[in-house]
Amino acid sequence: MNTQRLILLAVMVSLAAGCANEPRSRDIANPNVSGETLALQVCSNCHGATGNPKSPNFPNLAGQQEVYVVAELRGFKAHSRQDPAGFEYMWGISHNLTEKQIQELAEHFAAQKPEHQRIEGKPERIVAGQAIFSGGIPDKGVPPCASCHGSEGQGSATFPRIAGQHADYLVKQLTVFQRTNERPAATLMKTVAHNLTRENIVNVADYLQAMPNQ
Amino acid sequence: MRATSLHLSEEMVRVLTRAATLVVIIVTLWPGYALALPTFNRQTGQNCQACHAGGQFPELTPYGRLFKLTGYTLGERQTLPFSAMGVVSDSKVNNATKSDDPKADFQKNNQLIFATASAFAAGKITDNLGAFLQVTYDNYASQSDDGKFHGHTNADNMDIRYADRSIDANHDLIWGISANNNPSVQDVWNSAAAWMQYVPVPSPTSSRFIDGTTPYPGFASGGNIAGITAYAYWNQWLYVEAGGYRSAKGIASFMSAGIADANKTKLKGTNPYWRATLTHEWGPHNIMVGTSGMIADVFNDPLDTSDPNSVHHFRDIGVDSQYQYLLDPHTVTVQVAYMRDHHRVPSFLANQPVADVNGNPLPNTNAIDRTNVFRAKASYVYEAKYGTSLAFFNQTGTTDSALYDPTRVQGNISGNPVVRGWTSEVFWMPIQNIRLGLQYTIYDKYNGASHNYDGSGRNASDNSSLFFYVWGAY
Repeated sequence: MNTQRLILLAVMVSLAAGCANEPRSRDIANPNVSGETLALQVCSNCHGATGNPKSPNFPNLAGQQEVYVVAELRGFKAHSRQDPAGFEYMWGISHNLTEKQIQELAEHFAAQKPEHQRIEGKPERIVAGQAIFSGGIPDKGVPPCASCHGSEGQGSATFPRIAGQHADYLVKQLTVFQRTNERPAATLMKTVAHNLTRENIVNVADYLQAMPNQ
Repeated sequence: MRATSLHLSEEMVRVLTRAATLVVIIVTLWPGYALALPTFNRQTGQNCQACHAGGQFPELTPYGRLFKLTGYTLGERQTLPFSAMGVVSDSKVNNATKSDDPKADFQKNNQLIFATASAFAAGKITDNLGAFLQVTYDNYASQSDDGKFHGHTNADNMDIRYADRSIDANHDLIWGISANNNPSVQDVWNSAAAWMQYVPVPSPTSSRFIDGTTPYPGFASGGNIAGITAYAYWNQWLYVEAGGYRSAKGIASFMSAGIADANKTKLKGTNPYWRATLTHEWGPHNIMVGTSGMIADVFNDPLDTSDPNSVHHFRDIGVDSQYQYLLDPHTVTVQVAYMRDHHRVPSFLANQPVADVNGNPLPNTNAIDRTNVFRAKASYVYEAKYGTSLAFFNQTGTTDSALYDPTRVQGNISGNPVVRGWTSEVFWMPIQNIRLGLQYTIYDKYNGASHNYDGSGRNASDNSSLFFYVWGAY
């Protein structure tokens, strides 16, 4: 083995032996990496550094309720939340998170400021969605969204912030609640969504995306 | 463009039916997706489609691009970071009779074969260091005098990188260094030279006309060399990269391992490479516009590098663009690439007399050749399972008597490098580890002409080819 190969081997061994860079690590199995670091180095790839993702494939997490984020991360980790968006992206990422990291991640996203979303829904849909949000659909037994998620859609504890959420994400999740048992922690939403038509779902989702964040 | 016809033989229908039945059985008995994830999936715990657009390997999503740019370091380091993939394929050329020796010119035509297999060692090494190392076995790499094929294994794509990222609410800077063996293999956009090609590509002569062998914008140096590049990606808006490539020798010799010396690319000195892109993402859309280039001095004879003047001097400059619409369950992607190649041949090969098959003199060979390759591709994938795509390719360039070749099938009597045609593909991914594809490539022009390009009556459309493959990875 010549000198060059020895040097290369020594460099490789020293690099492989340690060199943990915890302040800027993307290691999802290292309990010493802070939730703040994971939020910026890992979660930001989909959810954005401030929890305001550009792609509607991924939910807005900025200003999300801390208790809700903790519950969802625990659900992903335990595989109890089984919707496609959950298991395709979140099961693996959350697999080794510690309770401390989960708490820190929730605190990080709860502290971020939600950005205003583009208004994409048609005006008549937004008006119809607002009516469901504020007044429900009494003759179908659908309660107002505001009764649990707050008058501004800001959420409370286990009830998530829905104001300013991507309409596409809301439509998909309301469909999951209505047609599957993939989110067992949200049995209440299964009942709420049971009598919603497809049009109701799109209307309320369009309103919530357009809803000014508070 | 002329329409061509291609009829499936009973044998091919039987083969396709058997292959499809086999896949259905595998899918039915498969024990669940979580047991079937290649090494990057095991590292991140995520599905293929998180990183690959619509699950279509190798095209990357914005997330996949960030995963690669941050040095494959996101996730959990694996104790055994290995994966493997294999390809079974069948190709059928439109006309296998216009040939002096069809058995030699179209070996394995219309036969299901085990084509290639690759092994990978890939993934996170430290918080800043990761690698993607591919070694490929070609079951039909060479042929002995008795006509028997022999398999061979050699280094394929290799990318070892160190990366770091500084990110907060207001700025994001990813930077890194890549050591790799193929200019642009380190690139994260699918319109880059190393990645735009339809895969897989088997090697028997019957497959010589499938899309994977058509002209693609690329760098004349090819692979099996060794380079180091440095890159930076700022605010997911501006990407810049620069570096240089040399022959793969010394400590970098593993980057061309298994390749015979006579087949290696031998470069004179250090050869510069650069890349710059602008990217933008809005809603489910993202777009990239970029440029890349390389200047390379390639020795004419890999076995004799004693004369510094015996080099081909290449200057390749390209522009490319990629658009993606990614919103489950839909994936739409469009890629466009154009490359201009300026080639100065060694002085002892320039201005040489050439005679045609009848002994009539042709113009002397050129001192400089120019070649332009344009490529465009659009694809749609539904539910990361059902996909289709359409591609157009057009290579043009200067006529050069050095290209004159009266050989049947592979010949070129015009000395012009024009190749033009279309490729369409449909594919099905029953599970994320298996893809079945049916591809058809139509030639409008081949080796300079639509008709009688080889001087023996063979037309471009005779080379149009049907290609079926089953690709699996674990």
